[in-house]
Parts: sequence; C-alpha cells; structure tokens
Amino acid sequence: MTSALLLVKISWRNLWRNPRGTLLTALALGLGLALLLISLGLLDGGHEQTIADGVRLGPGHVVVQAKGYQDSGSDELLLPARVVATIEAFLQTGAMKQVVRGVSPRLLATGLLNSSANAAGVRIVGVIPQDEATVSLIPQRMIEGAYLSNDKVSEVVIGAELARKLEVKIGSKVVLMTQTLRQPGAETKNGAGEEMQSTLLRVSGIFRTGIQAVDANMIQLPLPAAQTLLGVASGQVTQVTLLLEQERDSPLVAKALRKQLAGAPVEALTWRESLPMLSQILGLDHAFNYVMNGVILAMVGLGILNTILMRVLERRYEFGVCKALGLRPRQLAVMVIGESLALTAISLALGLALGLSVHYYFATSGLDLRWVFRTGLPPALVFDPILYSRLSLNRIVWSVSIVFMMATIISFYPALKAARTELPDALKTL
Amino acid sequence: MVVAKWAVELKDVRKAYRTGVIEVPALRGVSLQIAAGEFAATAGPSGSGKTTLLNIIGGLDRPDAGEIWVAGQNLQLLSSGELAHLRLQRIGFVFQTYNLLPVLTALENAEFTLLLQGVPPRKRREKVEKLFSEIGLTGLEDRRPAELSGGQQQRVAVARAMVTEPALILADEPTANLDSATAIALLDVMEHLNRATGTTFIFSTHDPQVMERAHRLIRLRDGQIASDEARGRRAVAVTAEDDAV
Repeated sequence: MTSALLLVKISWRNLWRNPRGTLLTALALGLGLALLLISLGLLDGGHEQTIADGVRLGPGHVVVQAKGYQDSGSDELLLPARVVATIEAFLQTGAMKQVVRGVSPRLLATGLLNSSANAAGVRIVGVIPQDEATVSLIPQRMIEGAYLSNDKVSEVVIGAELARKLEVKIGSKVVLMTQTLRQPGAETKNGAGEEMQSTLLRVSGIFRTGIQAVDANMIQLPLPAAQTLLGVASGQVTQVTLLLEQERDSPLVAKALRKQLAGAPVEALTWRESLPMLSQILGLDHAFNYVMNGVILAMVGLGILNTILMRVLERRYEFGVCKALGLRPRQLAVMVIGESLALTAISLALGLALGLSVHYYFATSGLDLRWVFRTGLPPALVFDPILYSRLSLNRIVWSVSIVFMMATIISFYPALKAARTELPDALKTL
Repeated sequence: MVVAKWAVELKDVRKAYRTGVIEVPALRGVSLQIAAGEFAATAGPSGSGKTTLLNIIGGLDRPDAGEIWVAGQNLQLLSSGELAHLRLQRIGFVFQTYNLLPVLTALENAEFTLLLQGVPPRKRREKVEKLFSEIGLTGLEDRRPAELSGGQQQRVAVARAMVTEPALILADEPTANLDSATAIALLDVMEHLNRATGTTFIFSTHDPQVMERAHRLIRLRDGQIASDEARGRRAVAVTAEDDAV
C-alpha cells in the first residue's frame, strides 16, 4: 500500500468517526442531486409534452406555407397546388418516410358560426380527416360524437366551449359564414373573390383539448367543403403540416424541404420558428429552472462547505500531529479532498437512488397538476396538466457531474486550511 | 561522508513570542550539545522554555536568532518541505497525549511513518511486529486507540516514533498522563530502546521519575539553562573533543 492509499484509507475511516453526521451530510448533498434530477425530469417531461401537444394542436414539427404567411397571417396566402404535390412526393422518398410520422394539408380561414341560439367567430380548419388524424390531437380528444370522415363533406367538429356557447349538440345544424379568399395578384371582377359565402353543416363531434383558445374557437371540416366555401381551387391549401418521429429532426427536415422547394414562394419552418412564443416560454422556463437549481445547489454546497470545514477545524490538532510526523501539506490536502470525495460518492449514490426512484414514479404514474388548474388552463397555454418525467442519460451524467464538481471545488478550501495547519500552534502540548 | 559531532547542537538560540505589542522571551541565548545516544531530560517550571526548546530542536518552530544543528543539518537553512522530510526520516515524536490517529489500528498507527517513507509492506510488518514484541504490544495490533489503555497507547506512540529508527526521539512529557507503574514500564521500554539502538532521547518533563532515570538532566529557568548535570551512563559516549569523521 502506498502512502496515497493510506491517505484514502484514513479519509474513508474518518468519514465513519461520526456516522450520523456523515449520513446527514451525505443525505443533504444527495437530496440536492435528487431534487436536481426530479426537477430536470419534470421540466424535460413537461417540455416534451408541451412541445408534443403544442405542435399537434398547431402547425406540427415542421410546416410549409406560402412565403410571408408567418409574419402576415393573411389567409389569402395559399400554397399553389403544384407545390403541395411536390411536397407530398418528396415526403414519400425513403429518407423522409423514416423520419416523418404524418402529413396533413390544411386550409385556414376565419368565419362566423351560427346556431339557432347564438353565433361566434371561429377559426376554420379544412382538413383531410384521414391525414389530420396522423398529425393532430383533435381526433383523439373527441368527447362526444365522432371525428370527421372522408366521405361526409358536410360535417363539422367543434370545441366544447364553442358548443356550449352555441348551445349545440351532436347532430345539430350550424351555418358557417365566411368571405371567399382573394388570391394576391388575382384578377377580381365586380368584387368577385370577396363574396360572403355560407354553408350548412351538421355537428358530428365535439372535442375538448383543455386549451381555452382551441376549445372556444376552432372548428374542423373536410377540406373539399372548406375549399368550396372559400372559393379555393382543389389542391390549394394554406399549409402542409408535418409530424415527425423525433422532435430533434425538425431542423434537418425543414432544411431538406427548403432545399427541395428552392425557388418556390414558400417558407418551411420548424416549430420553434412557427411557434416562437412557445419556444421562448420554454427557454425562459429552462433559464428559471437553472437559476432555481443553482440556488438549491448553492445552499447544499454551503452546507457541505460548513460541514467539511467544521470537520477540518475540529481535527486541527490531529493534522498538526500528522504534519509533525512528516506528512507534507500536499498530502494533508489530499487526505481532506479524499474524505470529501468519499462523502460525495456516498451522497451521489443516495441522490441517484432517491432521484431516479422519484423520477421512475413520475415517469410511469405522472404528476397530476389538475388540482392547480381547476378552473381550466390559461387560454394561451399549451399544457397537459399531468406531467410525466423524462430524463435522458445525458441529463443524469450532467447532473452527477455538476454535483461532483461542486463538491470537489468546495473541498479545496477546507483542504487548503488543513494544508496550512501551522506548527507548532496546532500542537499545544509540545 | 561527514558524521556530525553532536546529535543536537544549539548555539545561542533565542526565541520570543509576540502577543500584540507584548514580547515574551521563551529562550534567551541557549547553547547546548547533546551527543548521539544520550538519554537526556529537560526540566523546569512552566514557562521555562522546555516546550519551545523541543519545538525548535524538532524543526516545528524556528528561532529568532542562533543556530540549530540536528543530525548534521543546520535547520535554519532548510525549507518547510525539507524540515518535514528531516522529521520523517530522522526524528521521532512522542506526545503527551499520545496523539495516535483514532481511525487506524495500533499496528497501522505504528506503520504510519514507515508508510510515508515508502517502506514495502512486508518489511514494514516485520519491523512493527518485532518492535511490538519488544515493548509488550503483541496481540494488540488490531485494536483501535480507543480500545487501548493510556500506557498501551503511549507504547504504540513510542513504537511509531522508534520504528523508522530515527537518530533522535523527542518526547514531550511522555509520562504526564500515566500512573506511576505504567510510567515506569514506559521508561523501561524507552531506556531499553536507547540502549539497544543508540537512539538519542530528549524528554521534557515534570516527572521526578523521568528526571531520576535520565542520564543527563538539563534544568531550564526563564529561557536559560540553569544547570546541566550528567547523572550516570551516557549510552554512546561522544564528547566535545571527538572530531568529525
């Protein structure tokens, strides 16, 4: 056994001179790691769900639309039929088929939905039901009736809040009024293209997403019916939305589409570009979480510093003896750092066990936050109130590394203090 | 190779402690030669400078003036690291309160300095076991200090100091916390080792038994040597007239 091993042995045994103190300290640091893992797991899980829900209730992971639509929001900006055909053909290629889970062309407009009791402004979404079901959450959130079918063109599905306001039920008739879309640059004749149009529809299903803005405003109807109503040629849509197998592929798919559609007056956007506010909110949430975790770690770190420093100060005499016997300052420092690292190792084991256990529970059973939102979720929030924890191996390694580094850095000061034990002051009786 | 004439030599050593503006002289011009193999004791009332003298000889403290030579080396010229090396290789310490490392067994405590010297395990074990057998510690190897009596702990401390075969052992009131029978037994052990190995022993003590057993008694008063009397055998008779070899 070399002297280094002796120092490790002394460090390890020193830890157990006061087992209760050691375990409490280890528990404090372990709790810090556990909190870090739990909060990161819920944060990542929450974000993953929020992104998944956000894109499935909105423009998908990637959206292709007419150039300028993102900024202007003008419903009159439509994708030409040939562009839509090009996109669909491109997405059928081998590489794309691997990463794209669903594709849905949509025609968007605004209108007024009238029932016998009331009227409300609505966001019209014309879809191909079969395609929309591969992308959107709406078909899965039907609480009454059924989602649209490809063969019934005069059906409509509406949000639960809208149904309540219009006092309609499954089978009720509603009249959708809107203005036909005038294409930019298209010739108008006697106001043609700006005519008011209306159509009679039957409510086939009512959905509830839990998101006020969707439940109170959105309606979906078959694409041919929407195109006829809005005076749009068959094949023309506002956007083509893509749902991917993996969110992280969004930039690559968007880039590939941009390349494929180079020269066409279109924009291919990732969800971060098409939903910038959601992206910013998640970014802010991340930043806030990092700050909170920093505060937790700083508090735990100060506790550890205090404990190790107290241990060192209590053993000043012992360090004096070691130094008198010939132990060099560097070896004393190594002894203290070794002790601190051994404590950290125990803490990390406790923290990992605790953190991963709680993570597993939240990953399988979820953290139900519905009691927080009894009155409904805020209108702008795309948020599933049951959070499922998600932790990647990278996150775990990162968290363990951060805590390990913190504990190591913290141990330098007590180690320096031990190394600087002054002789003969430390040996009062010699 | 130059062999020192003296195991320890002090020339007009002065040391004062300062507390704020107050200066308390601890040693006031001490000159002293101690030959290799001596079994010497320093005695004197509290504050007479015994502790300071041992600290300075052991390289734990530095004087304000004067020269200290230990094992042929001028301590004034050594850095802190070199002093640590000297202590590890050439000097053994026995403290009043034993000061064994509580987390190590008796055997591990005794091995401690050998480990720091990098002595191989087998040789280490042989040396410690031989010494334990000589000083009556056989069978107690695996006990922690808390499981040993005061006398046993002090014997382990002596073993720790002796096991590296140092040139000099400094013992600060080694019998202060022992009953008289245990103190006598410990003195027997140390005197035996002194005779057997020729190691120089310097004690500081208040204990009349230690003074009686010392072969040389140096009395200090107010930081100066009040008397210096030879009290019998000098283990290795090195006199001032002996020349360097």
